[in-house]
Amino acid sequence: MKRSRLSLAITVILTLIALIYLYPLFLIVINSLKTFAEITINAVALPQSPQFSNYVETFRLMKYPNLFMNTLIATGVGVFGVVLVSSMAGYKLSRTKTAYSWVMFIILIAPMMIPFHSFMIALVKVAKVLHLTGTPWGLGVMYWGLGAPLALFLYHGFVKSIPRDLDDCALIDGASPMRAFFQVILPLLQPVTVSVVVINAMWMWNDFLLPLLLLSGSKKALTLQLAAYNFFGQYKVEWHYAMAGVLLTIIPAVMIFLALQRHIIKGMIAGAVKT
Amino acid sequence: MNLHQKRQRTSFLIFLSFTVPALATILLSVEIPFLMSVIYSFTKWNGLDKIPEFIGLANYIEIFTNDPDALYALGFTLRMAAFTVVFTNIFALALAVFLDSDIRGKNALRVAFYIPNIISLIVIGYVWRFIFTKGFDSFYEMTGLGVFMFSWLGDKDLAFFSLVLVRVWQQLGFYLVIYIAGLQTVPKDLIEAATIDGASPVARFFRVTLPMIMPSITVAVFYSLSNGLKVFDVILSLTSGGPGNATMSIALDIYRTAFVTGRFGYGTAKSVVLFFVILVLTVFQVKVFKQREVEV
Repeated sequence: MKRSRLSLAITVILTLIALIYLYPLFLIVINSLKTFAEITINAVALPQSPQFSNYVETFRLMKYPNLFMNTLIATGVGVFGVVLVSSMAGYKLSRTKTAYSWVMFIILIAPMMIPFHSFMIALVKVAKVLHLTGTPWGLGVMYWGLGAPLALFLYHGFVKSIPRDLDDCALIDGASPMRAFFQVILPLLQPVTVSVVVINAMWMWNDFLLPLLLLSGSKKALTLQLAAYNFFGQYKVEWHYAMAGVLLTIIPAVMIFLALQRHIIKGMIAGAVKT
Repeated sequence: MNLHQKRQRTSFLIFLSFTVPALATILLSVEIPFLMSVIYSFTKWNGLDKIPEFIGLANYIEIFTNDPDALYALGFTLRMAAFTVVFTNIFALALAVFLDSDIRGKNALRVAFYIPNIISLIVIGYVWRFIFTKGFDSFYEMTGLGVFMFSWLGDKDLAFFSLVLVRVWQQLGFYLVIYIAGLQTVPKDLIEAATIDGASPVARFFRVTLPMIMPSITVAVFYSLSNGLKVFDVILSLTSGGPGNATMSIALDIYRTAFVTGRFGYGTAKSVVLFFVILVLTVFQVKVFKQREVEV
């Protein structure tokens, strides 16, 4: 009896802390629904009548559908490529116990120790030479090598738990090594694939620096985060637009998170703890 | 060629067909640019020249002898990383202890604390810029408390703490979940044995739980340290490095040197320095923390 009362007290205190913790986000929501004058008078008060027109106007000013598509393309291309190249390599490297396989493994995971900011200047140069700047497709392609080392490391560890007999069975049945991998092994790697998709999708969707470096010159190719940055710079004073812009930028990620939070939290943790 | 050699060659070709795609993308996006950066760091290069001019160690000498801003950025980044690492890990661990215990609504609470983590740092910076300006003005009118009148972004010492606060607020959820995962690996019978031996809850935490979750602490501190040393987005959107250059981090300084000032060669030298700073500090941290991990 005493125990449950204590636990209830803890729940109440933690709930209060959580409400204070999320209060800044609540303020953003209410201010995005106010008129400019209302924000100037009092930022804490609730809106007198919700101004949904702020959203309509911001949606138009930001050219939102275009931004959404660009971000989706960059993230989609990026995640797909990372899963493809890293699952193949992680599997083969885990199954091959030779010196050259070990050397290859080291070369492929070494970038986990290289911070992005230490090579970003030359990365822009490489992307320009390959004509991968100025388009969300090119941005997606540049993500492949950035996301692959960690993903490959995760696949490499997981493949060990899958019996080798399965590879052999598929091969004896006459499948080519590639086909055996894609039809028999890859489906079994699904837990890692979920992690890899979650980690990379969250990162690419929210990434700001690489889009800034590769896309900032071309207006049509902007991603959500990059456009948000420009938008806030432009509408510094018009807080009602800026706040609606904040919400439009974060809503897709927050909705997906709330729908899939179990998988997402598990996926992020699996990625962090294994390394 | 005999059969054995032939078979070996085939298996090597298959090996390549599986690994070369990853190798190509990683070389392209990371390893070639990194080697280029190291090479460019010995040159004077404006980003346009076909062949940059080789100037030896001049860039490195300039960083350490003739660029007070760069050294300030280095000091600022180290200070900010230290504060964020300490506060993030202490708060995350403390919260994790409660959220791992048997209380009602713990899943909803975990989700609540995780939410800021799924919002991009560039947007987080703007959210808090609004809170520190408009929000605090209104709080002051309501409460009359002087703290809300301070210039939280305009004063250089306060701006430092504002950045630490926002950074900790944003990332806490992630570390919270790492610690919860760690706490769940502590065997229940170990805690029970300590309880039977008469250990108080506090003693149980410091003598049993804490040593058992040392691996999680190592990982969480490693991540928060390396992310802390790379801080960029949140500074750009919250203070833009200001007031003056008071909140300029190494990463922001590298970006400005190359893409605003146009000194690409010099920027790459700074980026190589950042690489070594992060490498040395994280390797040292992991080494020290690993020594404290215990075997069960």
